Amino acid sequence: MAAGLAKKTFLAPLGKDNPVFAQVLGICSTLAVTNKLENTLVMTLGVMFTTALSSLTVSLLRKWIPSRVRMMIETMVIATYVIIVDIALKAYYPEMWKQLGPYVGLIITNCIVMGRIEAFALQNKPGLSLIDGLASGMGYAYVLLVIAFFRELLGTGTLFGFQVLGSWWTSWAIMIMPPGGFFMLAIFMWVVREAFLKEGSHE
Amino acid sequence: MKTQSFYVRRIHPIVVMAMVTIACILITASLHLYTRERVATNEQFFLNRSILNAAGVVHDGQPTSVAALFAENVEFDSGVYHVKTADGSLRHVIEITGPGLWGPITIMIGFEDDLATISGVSIVSQNETPGLGARIEEPWFTEQFAGKQGPFSMVEEGTSAAPDEFDAITGATRTSESFRNIVNRAVANSDTISRGQ
Repeated sequence: MAAGLAKKTFLAPLGKDNPVFAQVLGICSTLAVTNKLENTLVMTLGVMFTTALSSLTVSLLRKWIPSRVRMMIETMVIATYVIIVDIALKAYYPEMWKQLGPYVGLIITNCIVMGRIEAFALQNKPGLSLIDGLASGMGYAYVLLVIAFFRELLGTGTLFGFQVLGSWWTSWAIMIMPPGGFFMLAIFMWVVREAFLKEGSHE
Repeated sequence: MKTQSFYVRRIHPIVVMAMVTIACILITASLHLYTRERVATNEQFFLNRSILNAAGVVHDGQPTSVAALFAENVEFDSGVYHVKTADGSLRHVIEITGPGLWGPITIMIGFEDDLATISGVSIVSQNETPGLGARIEEPWFTEQFAGKQGPFSMVEEGTSAAPDEFDAITGATRTSESFRNIVNRAVANSDTISRGQ
């Protein structure tokens, strides 16, 4: 595998092909889990784990998967990794598992995971697919962490649960509620597209 | 396009699918069995901790000491947990569920031996908005019921003074109302709790 290709595969999902602000995938969890940084971090680690390893697994199996059942097999592989995350959290980090509730299980339906498998892992070698899956997960992760940073800071005056703004700060309750997620995501996409993706847009 | 044999078209996909399924089930099932005991311990710990909190028993939050305290001081009898406290007085803890804003809220509520004064309140499960309604889990909110007698009315956050008032959570009025209703329902029925032996 050429080093240049690996680097390109790794960098694309972090920048111009970002799953969230360029491809607009995985939006439901972006809105749901980003009101606290701690929840967001654990959730995005789960997504990174799932995208990386399910891309790797499907890529390893790609020569043996009959094309008419490929989606069933992909879903099965993804679900297995998500259940591993769920069980691991339930056993070793139960407080967080209680807080995230159904969202861990919903990683299965995160379009980024399936999207990278269909678009990339089925055609590419395992090593490259692993890089692509991991980078897509990281591209998703940093966007969510930026959104969660602003939502938690403005919404409660805390970061990772620690009070950083003084008592003079009036929390914006709207930032923690679902509409706050829509506002932050829209502002974020607007800023990024306006500032960095201008030459690439041809619509 | 060349025609494929019956096996390739019909049987092969099923065989592959079955093999992948069996492999996935083996992995997840063995992981489940491997962690089953730990998960059960965690759940029991959460339940025991909320019962001790509702009874106002001081503990350090460590699973082993909570389990020891629980085994030593708590007796369960017809729906009521009877908890012996350090000074020898008896407290009675019941579990009660009511509707919250998004889903049911289940709490443990403890009464002193007069069956009117609340010894403590703790959350077993809730599904309220994180950062707003979910703040009912924060200690300042649950602790404010200890030593008071219901039925309660709620006032703005940070202003409760009378012994039958509690601070609502700003930005979570509906959750606070639901919580008041659940606590008041427990208070209204508290005289029917059996004191046990």
